[in-house]
Amino acid sequence: MSLAVVGLNHRSGSVELLERLGFSANELPRALRDLRNRADGAGVVILSTCNRVELYLHHAQMDSASLCAHARALLAEWHAIPESEFGDALYAFHGQDAITHLFRVASSLDSLVVGESQILGQVHDAYLAARTEQATDKVMHALFQKAFSVAKAVRSRTDIGAGNISISSVAVDLAASIFMELSNKTVMVLGAGEMSELTLKSLHSRGVGSILVLNRSIERAREIAARFDGEPIAFADLDRHLHRADILISSTAAPHAILHPAQFRDALERRAQEPMFVIDIAVPRDVEPEAGDLDNLYLYNMDDLRQVVEENLSARREQAERGAAIVERGADEFAKWLRAIVAEPTIVSMARELRAIREQELEKTLAALPDLTEKQRQEVGYLTERIVNKILQSPMTQIKHEIGHHDPYTVLHLVRRLFGLKD
Amino acid sequence: MILSMGVAFYLGCALYCAAGAAAILYLWRDHERVLDATIALAGAGAACLAAAFAFRWIAWRLVPMTTAADSIALFAVLSTAVMLALMRKPNVRALACFYAPPLAALCIVNAAVAHTDLFTAPRALAGLPLVLHVGMAFLAYALFFLAGMTSAAYVFQSQRLKRRHPTGLFQRLPSLEQLDSTLIRLIGLGYPLFVLTLILGAFWAHTQRDLLGPRWWLAPKVVLSFVLAIFCAVTYHRRRAGRLRGPRLAYQVFIGFIALLAIYLILALLHLRTYNFWGAAS
Repeated sequence: MSLAVVGLNHRSGSVELLERLGFSANELPRALRDLRNRADGAGVVILSTCNRVELYLHHAQMDSASLCAHARALLAEWHAIPESEFGDALYAFHGQDAITHLFRVASSLDSLVVGESQILGQVHDAYLAARTEQATDKVMHALFQKAFSVAKAVRSRTDIGAGNISISSVAVDLAASIFMELSNKTVMVLGAGEMSELTLKSLHSRGVGSILVLNRSIERAREIAARFDGEPIAFADLDRHLHRADILISSTAAPHAILHPAQFRDALERRAQEPMFVIDIAVPRDVEPEAGDLDNLYLYNMDDLRQVVEENLSARREQAERGAAIVERGADEFAKWLRAIVAEPTIVSMARELRAIREQELEKTLAALPDLTEKQRQEVGYLTERIVNKILQSPMTQIKHEIGHHDPYTVLHLVRRLFGLKD
Repeated sequence: MILSMGVAFYLGCALYCAAGAAAILYLWRDHERVLDATIALAGAGAACLAAAFAFRWIAWRLVPMTTAADSIALFAVLSTAVMLALMRKPNVRALACFYAPPLAALCIVNAAVAHTDLFTAPRALAGLPLVLHVGMAFLAYALFFLAGMTSAAYVFQSQRLKRRHPTGLFQRLPSLEQLDSTLIRLIGLGYPLFVLTLILGAFWAHTQRDLLGPRWWLAPKVVLSFVLAIFCAVTYHRRRAGRLRGPRLAYQVFIGFIALLAIYLILALLHLRTYNFWGAAS
């Protein structure tokens, strides 16, 4: 029995290589069938995302090296790329390492952005695609079910998904930590940069009350306002409307600061000191930093937002260590279960073989000793049974032990040869 | 009855202690179950102290409000009752980690010094107006205590935002606007209650002026209570008028609460809580 994974990810291969070796949703069913046929009916799952292409294989009799060779051949032939072009970027894991790898992937510990939640859905989709094609077997099914439960445990028992890691999401989180609800708040957008639109989009999706758009070009202001159901305002009227803004996103291309503390002091006075959240994502900055010293005004510029993102990422990395311990435990449990499952047919077959020998020999012996009483015949029967059980005891324990430390295929193959068992 | 009262009292203090420890754990680590445990333990502690209060009332047939042990226990019970009422809003539950530790500290001190007070009869309060006066005063103090702690949470949140460090506990506490709303609700309830308490107290003192002396209204306790009422009125109405908001309001409420505590402590330690202060001095 062998379990293996062959693949490449954002660390081992370039984006270009990942694109070339990836499988589209349309290609996947055919690729699964192809791989299954090549690997003699192995259980297979193909995970293909922007950041990784991985082929998971399990076979009851084939060794890991052969499984990996089939996977590499599929990648090369399917995409018509010589193996020499991508061989260095490939990694392969066997046995418990393959189990741990899948659990790390599903738990987002191996992701480009640690803690992102998308990967679990992608692993789930890959598994469903394989199931639909009837490409999974009992072990693959159990392996992926365990991967989902480990991933859920990592997410629920650690804070790996806490804290946003995109600038626009962080800005929205900060707004939510100032205001009770966003539905009655007004967002003012100053300028029309890409980042300000992204932030506006995030706030709009969270249901902000109203949107005011100011731009040097009133046409551009109208265009953006129309997209977000907002109100276009002439740039010259900034001071007249500034007090209306609960959240101000500023990203003009002005070469110097255009918003000064005095303007905000006045605006805060007019809004009865209700808090204002100012997001200055312009470079150079639109808002004089001294404005941040005003009470009830919370000013964040691009560097501040980046710093929050970095802190959130670092917190996630810390949580990833806790997640790794959960993954290790899960992998150990699965490997233990797998060992029992794998060893079972060989142990059963070994016991059956020895008992068949015992019965044959017992029959011969009893036929040669017709004078034995019924009690004596029974005693001889018990004796042979005890001998067989004693002979079986040690190999049964040792097989379970050895397949935990060595390649199960090799161990079981050796046992089968030693005891002359049929495959 | 006395034994049941003792058991309920010390069990209540122990539960508050556990609630305080759980709250500190929650401040340190984000575990929703720890927060649930904090709230549940504080609730259970309050129930035990309330039972001890009832047992003591039944045992001595006197409303137990006059000894330090009774006062602290009553204050903890009322504070927890208001806290539990606030906690019905899920987005303010994390505030329990600001409320529980000081209550736990208070209960620890009470458990350490309450022995004599607990097993002696409380002083009789002369008449229902006085019982109402004292009871309402404790409820008002409980509201001011919670407002003080909420303002501490506001200052913490606001500082974190200003220093661009919005991680950890910051992410678990309510939004600034929510804290402001909670704060103003607590003051909005505490301030009129306190004024009503003063009016009731003044009415009672007026009827008892032969006993308290002609200048009872000049006693430090009365003057300071009057100053506190004015402070609350100014704070509340300035906030309502939009002239005091955010960190300034939070600082003012917090400093006001600390000043209130300090003044009452000084009065208690110097034995100046008598209404006959000027009479006694002359």
